Amino acid sequence: MFQVVANSLLAASAYALVGLGLALLMRVARFINFAHGVTLASCPYFALCLVRCGMPLGAAISVAVVLSMVLGCTTEVGVYKPLRRRGASSLVLLLASLGIYVVLQNVISLVFGDDTKSIRPGVVREGLNLLGARITPIQITTICVSVVLVVGLALFLRYAKLGRAMRAVANDPELANVSGIDSDRVILWAFAIGSALAGIAGILVALDLDMTPTMGLNALMMGVVVVIIGGVDSIPGIALGALLLGMAQQFGVWEISSQWQDAIAFIILLAFLLFRPQGFLGRKVRKATV
Amino acid sequence: MEYLLHILILIGIYVILSVSLNLIAGYTGLLSIAHAAFYGVGAYVVALMALNWHSPFWVNIVCAVIAAGAFGALVGIPSLRIRDDYFVIASFAFQVITFSVLNNWVSFTGGPMGLPGIPQPVILGWQVSSHAGFLFLTACFCALTLWATQRIVRSPFGRVLMAIREDEVFAQAVGKNVAGYKVLVFVVGAGMAALAGSMYAYYISFIDPTSFTVMESIFIISIVIIGGAGSLWGPVIGAAVLVTLPEMLRFVGLPSSVAANVRQILYGGLLVAFMMWRPQGFAGEYSFEKGGSQG
Repeated sequence: MFQVVANSLLAASAYALVGLGLALLMRVARFINFAHGVTLASCPYFALCLVRCGMPLGAAISVAVVLSMVLGCTTEVGVYKPLRRRGASSLVLLLASLGIYVVLQNVISLVFGDDTKSIRPGVVREGLNLLGARITPIQITTICVSVVLVVGLALFLRYAKLGRAMRAVANDPELANVSGIDSDRVILWAFAIGSALAGIAGILVALDLDMTPTMGLNALMMGVVVVIIGGVDSIPGIALGALLLGMAQQFGVWEISSQWQDAIAFIILLAFLLFRPQGFLGRKVRKATV
Repeated sequence: MEYLLHILILIGIYVILSVSLNLIAGYTGLLSIAHAAFYGVGAYVVALMALNWHSPFWVNIVCAVIAAGAFGALVGIPSLRIRDDYFVIASFAFQVITFSVLNNWVSFTGGPMGLPGIPQPVILGWQVSSHAGFLFLTACFCALTLWATQRIVRSPFGRVLMAIREDEVFAQAVGKNVAGYKVLVFVVGAGMAALAGSMYAYYISFIDPTSFTVMESIFIISIVIIGGAGSLWGPVIGAAVLVTLPEMLRFVGLPSSVAANVRQILYGGLLVAFMMWRPQGFAGEYSFEKGGSQG
C-alpha cells in the first residue's frame, strides 16, 4: 500500500516538472511544444557524454542542464521566433516543433544508439525502508527536487519581476509590449526556464530508470496529460494533476498489468478534454468552445 | 525489378493514406495525428478475418472499411468541442490508445509478435501472389481513392468542408450541420486509410504494432503538409518524394541501421523547413493559418 503511494509520488514528481515546463511555454509562447520532449531526453545524454569525458557526475549534470537550456533557446531563436514574426498560427508552431522533435530524437539515436544507457553511479543498492515501502535515495531526491522546483516556480511567477512579465505576456502580448515589456526576450526566458525544468526531469528519470532516445516522447505525453487535467494556468492544478495521474497509473498497475499505463493516462486525458477542457483548477481555455 | 515494384506499391499505399488524411486535415482543417491508427485498424481487421475465418477478400476489405469508419467517427467527435492544438492532442490520445491495444491485447492481436502468415488474396479466382499483381491491386485502390476524393472536394459536401476550415462559425451561421460534416469526413478518411491498411496486410503478409505508431502518424501528416494540404495532387507528390528519397540513401551506401534514422531526420527536417519557408507545401492551398474565426 505505502509502496504504491511512494511510487505514485515518484511518478508524479517527474510528470509535474515536465508539465510545468510545457504549461509555461503553452501560456507564454502560446503553442504546444512537442520538442520539449527531446529537450528532456537530450539532458541525460549530454550528461552521459560529459561523464564519459571524465567529468564527475554532479558537475556533468549541471553542465548538461545548461546545455539543454541552450538547446531549447536555440530552437526558439532559430525556428519559433521567425515563425511568430510571420504571424504563424499555433498549429504551424506545433507542426514545426513536431519536426524538431523527430530530427533531434533521431540525432540522439544515431549518436548513442537505441539501446538503454545508464548514468547511475555504482551498483544498485537496496532501498531504505519507509513505512513498509522500499525507496532509494535517488527517489527521495527526485521527490524533494520536484517539490522545491514547483514551489520555486510558483513564487517566481508570482513575485519576481521577470515572472510577472511572463504572466503579462501570457495574458496579452500586445498590451505587455505597450507597457514596455520586450515579449521576445520574455519568451526566450520562458524557453530557458522550461528547458531547464525538462532537463532536470530528464536527469531524474534517467537516474531512476536509465535512458533511451524515445524517453522524451513518453515523458512529453505524460506532461501533456498533466497539463490538460490540471489546467494550463494553474500551478497547483498541474501539481495535483501529476499526483492524480501518478496515482491512477500506479493503482491501475495494482489491479491490471503495467503495460496499460499509457492507455489509462490517455483515457483520462480524453475524458478531461471532452468534459472539462479547462482542467480541474484552470479557468476557461482559449481553444475550447461549446 | 522486384525492388522497383516494391517501392511503387509502398508509394501507392502512402498515396492512399495521405490523400485520405488530406481530406481531414487539408480540406477540413482538422489536424489529426491518428491516421496510423485507422491504417492499423484496417490492417488488423483484414488480417484477423483472413487468418481466423478464411473469409473472402472483398468481405474482409468491406469489414475493415466499416470498422475503421466507425472508429473514425469516434475520433471525430472531440473535434466538435475542441479545436486546433487541443484537437491535435485528442487525436494523439486515440493514436496512443490504439497502439497500446494492438501491442498489449496479446490474446486477440498477437501483441508485439504480430500476426504472421496472412494468406494471399483471391479475387474472382485469381490468386494475387506476384509483386506485379499487388501493384495492380494497389493502383486500383489508389485510383479509387483519388477519384472519390476528387468527387468529394468538387461536390457541395467538399465546399462545406472547406468552409468549415476557413470559418467554422460562418458555416454554422448559414445553416450547415458542421458537427455532422466533421464526423462524416472522419468516417470517410478513416475508411480510405483502412483500404491502405488492408493492402499493406495482404502485401507484406505479416503485421505488427510497430507499423502503426505515433511516428507513422507523424510521417503521414508530414507527407500531406510537404506535398501540400488542401490540394488533390499535393499529397501524391509528397508520398512519391518522401517514400523514394530515403531509398536513394541506399544507393549512397548508408548501412540500413543508420538509414532508418536518416530517413526520419530527413522528413522531420523537411517538415520544419516547409513550416518556415513554405507552409502550404509544394502544391498546397492551405497553410494551417485560420482566417476569420480565430477564438
